[in-house]
Amino acid sequence: MRIYEELFIVDPGLPEEEIDAVVGLIEDVVKEAGGAIEKVEKWGRRKLAYRIQKKEEGYYVLVQFSAAGSTVKEIERRLRVDERVMRYLTVRIDEKLKWLEKRRKQREKRMAKRPQAAQPAAAQPAAAPGAPARPEGGN
Amino acid sequence: MAEAKGRPISASQKPTGGDKAVVSRKQYFRRKKVCRFCVERIDDIDYKNTALLTAFISERGKIIPRRISGVCSPHQRRLTTAIKRARHVALLPFVAEV
Repeated sequence: MRIYEELFIVDPGLPEEEIDAVVGLIEDVVKEAGGAIEKVEKWGRRKLAYRIQKKEEGYYVLVQFSAAGSTVKEIERRLRVDERVMRYLTVRIDEKLKWLEKRRKQREKRMAKRPQAAQPAAAQPAAAPGAPARPEGGN
Repeated sequence: MAEAKGRPISASQKPTGGDKAVVSRKQYFRRKKVCRFCVERIDDIDYKNTALLTAFISERGKIIPRRISGVCSPHQRRLTTAIKRARHVALLPFVAEV
């Protein structure tokens, strides 16, 4: 099981139900393959950075789900066929999330250590103001 | 003789170039560039974060080289993929009209 993120643009001229239908389509495929939807974020209508299919705007939807790699293939195939979908992008994010979590923990560990290190560090800036005077005098 | 004459000319031209470099070095103090992602501790370079990414594209929509922006190479690599992904889903332009 891997975690993926699917961002796609739906034709903004369509009613809300049609957009839900596209989201439902992805949900069906994921559930059928034994995966799980983690979140659905509707960004709503947004101006496109460039025209796609002669449209200036698009309805953005972000779906996060966990599923096997073969599921992605099926989802992408369906989105490609679907005329309501103007553009899609699938990104695998489980490794990134793991890495971010690791980084966050490292930071916390370092922050926990810092209060002890703060005292010697505080002593240094006090000594520092005297130091720049010396190079200046040398020049 | 012709060769001997030729050399001093090129040699005489060199010092002027050298002087210019010295002058420019004196006039402009070049500040050391630092990677914004390292300094601000931005771990996540996300393609959805257009506010962050637009800071690293030019007016024309081009990716700013790290020799100019000062971003370190591991971060520039991730930044580039993020910008390219954002372009694909029309969050950022491929070419922006000035």
